[in-house]
Amino acid sequence: MTNHNGLTMANSQPVQRVAATLAIDSINFSYPNGHEVFRAFSLEAKPGEFIVLLGPSGCGKTTLLNLLSGFQKPASGTITINGAPVRPEMPELGYVFQSPQLFPWLNVLENVRFGLRMQNRLSAKEQTEKALHYLALVGLDQAADKLPYQLSGGMQQRVSLARALALEPALLLMDEPFAALDAITRNNLNEETLRLWSELGQTVVFITHDIDEAIFLADRVVVLEIAPGGIHSELAIDILRPRSNLGTRKLPRFIEYRTALMEKIADVVHANLSVL
Amino acid sequence: MMRRLDKFNWGWASLPFLLLCWVLVASRFPSYILPQPWEVMAEAQRWIADGSLLQHLKASLLEEAGGFALATLVALLLGTTAGLFRRFRDFISPLNSLFMAIPPVAWAPLTMIIFGLGYWSIVMVIFIAAVFPMAITMQEGIQSIRNGEVRAARTLGATPLQMIVHVYMPASLPFFTAALRIGFSQAWRALVAAEMIGASKGIGWMVSMGGQIGNTNQVLLGIVIIGLIAWLMESLVFKRLEKHYQTWRAH
Ligand SMILES: Nc1ncnc2c1ncn2[C@@H]1O[C@H](COP(=O)(O)OP(=O)(O)OP(=O)(O)O)[C@@H](O)[C@H]1O
Ligand SMILES: [Mg+2]
Repeated sequence: MTNHNGLTMANSQPVQRVAATLAIDSINFSYPNGHEVFRAFSLEAKPGEFIVLLGPSGCGKTTLLNLLSGFQKPASGTITINGAPVRPEMPELGYVFQSPQLFPWLNVLENVRFGLRMQNRLSAKEQTEKALHYLALVGLDQAADKLPYQLSGGMQQRVSLARALALEPALLLMDEPFAALDAITRNNLNEETLRLWSELGQTVVFITHDIDEAIFLADRVVVLEIAPGGIHSELAIDILRPRSNLGTRKLPRFIEYRTALMEKIADVVHANLSVL
Repeated sequence: MMRRLDKFNWGWASLPFLLLCWVLVASRFPSYILPQPWEVMAEAQRWIADGSLLQHLKASLLEEAGGFALATLVALLLGTTAGLFRRFRDFISPLNSLFMAIPPVAWAPLTMIIFGLGYWSIVMVIFIAAVFPMAITMQEGIQSIRNGEVRAARTLGATPLQMIVHVYMPASLPFFTAALRIGFSQAWRALVAAEMIGASKGIGWMVSMGGQIGNTNQVLLGIVIIGLIAWLMESLVFKRLEKHYQTWRAH
């Protein structure tokens, strides 16, 4: 087996394909200061589905992921992964944050191995092998000994992705993981995300405010309303996979989707303006 | 030429400069007022030869070790708790400021009445001197841990105990080593001061006794040893420790 850099992977191992069902059932949520963010919000993600939540700034995207990962609890309604209520610690859940959030005192390999070490189900040698495997998948096995501050922002976010993937989560939550990166790096990481997802097959909920990124990645784009709200509309993205930066982004259909989503977003923002 | 001067570490020049000044100033005074460095060296040889220097040094270092160790333990407890719990932090911080405002040696007469002249009264003064600045530094260390790292560790499945061992402790390690350095030097200063007030041995006693009997050689020898120990600990132990654990935090 070789990775995309053509490097031979000494420690390739069969990758588990596990995917979860995520069910959000009519949740309500307000912040303690009374700011209402969600009202009777429901959404379901099928196993292996790549869902992108798209919405303008302040619509509650980060709040939603905090709820989906169990860091915050809805006032009413339920959020379940394969039927079980969510908790941040549950092994089915992987989370890639808006900024990499690597542990600065650990080198790259130890960062990726962190979750496996906490679980302590594998021997130390197996943990290292697995961590190296996922590092190679994101193309960073050469940087295993580096400390996080020695990496560029894009590389750090790759490590963060490998760290979440190493636990082979059935559901991967990604909160605008590439928003802080330049356009070229972002496009590359988009492609890489899809390649990993097609190999690993987990369910993904990806958050962004970038329309092109949404179309490029998604099976289904869910457009969010400005708080307090729910779903404005949905759009199934019917573009063949595998998708590539060079091919996919210039398809007439891609352009059509972009126009449609721009109108929807304009509608969301406009509706909000008329309320104000 | 200029380049070479720029590259030269001027720190190496400071000690010879100080010695030169000493020699020059001392040459204008009789030696019973200000002796020359070599006279102090001769005094040192006498103290070393009869074993009394070692004895006093040992007494001081034992007191330092006791007070410093006690202060480290208590500061760890106070600092961590204050770092983790806001209410405790609010409660303890006025006390901290109050105790830090009082020069530690002011407690010496009291501890000597309570514990009697000897080991424990000095250890208590050292303890008071070191514990508060150490606790504050450790508290800052815990507070500096970023919420993001904690959340990341939780989604990676860390249990509360694992959070402490694998996130809170390593993240605050640079602050911990800084606290050790600060605590040691505060303790050392207080130790010398306390020994000068009431002790029958130790380096501080050596200095104050030298003053009372008019032996300026002894006074200066004591001062040199006090400075030497502080400098050795600082540059050989604590600076290295801190440097080792701080590379990643600087970024
Ligand atoms: N801790 C909080 N307390 C009160 N209100 C909050 C809090 N956090 C966020 N909000 C409000 O809730 C709404 C949703 O915030 P959220 O951070 O989820 O938005 P977002 O969609 O992630 O925005 P962005 O794209 O800018 O990251 C905003 O109006 C925000 O002002
Ligand atoms: Mg956000």
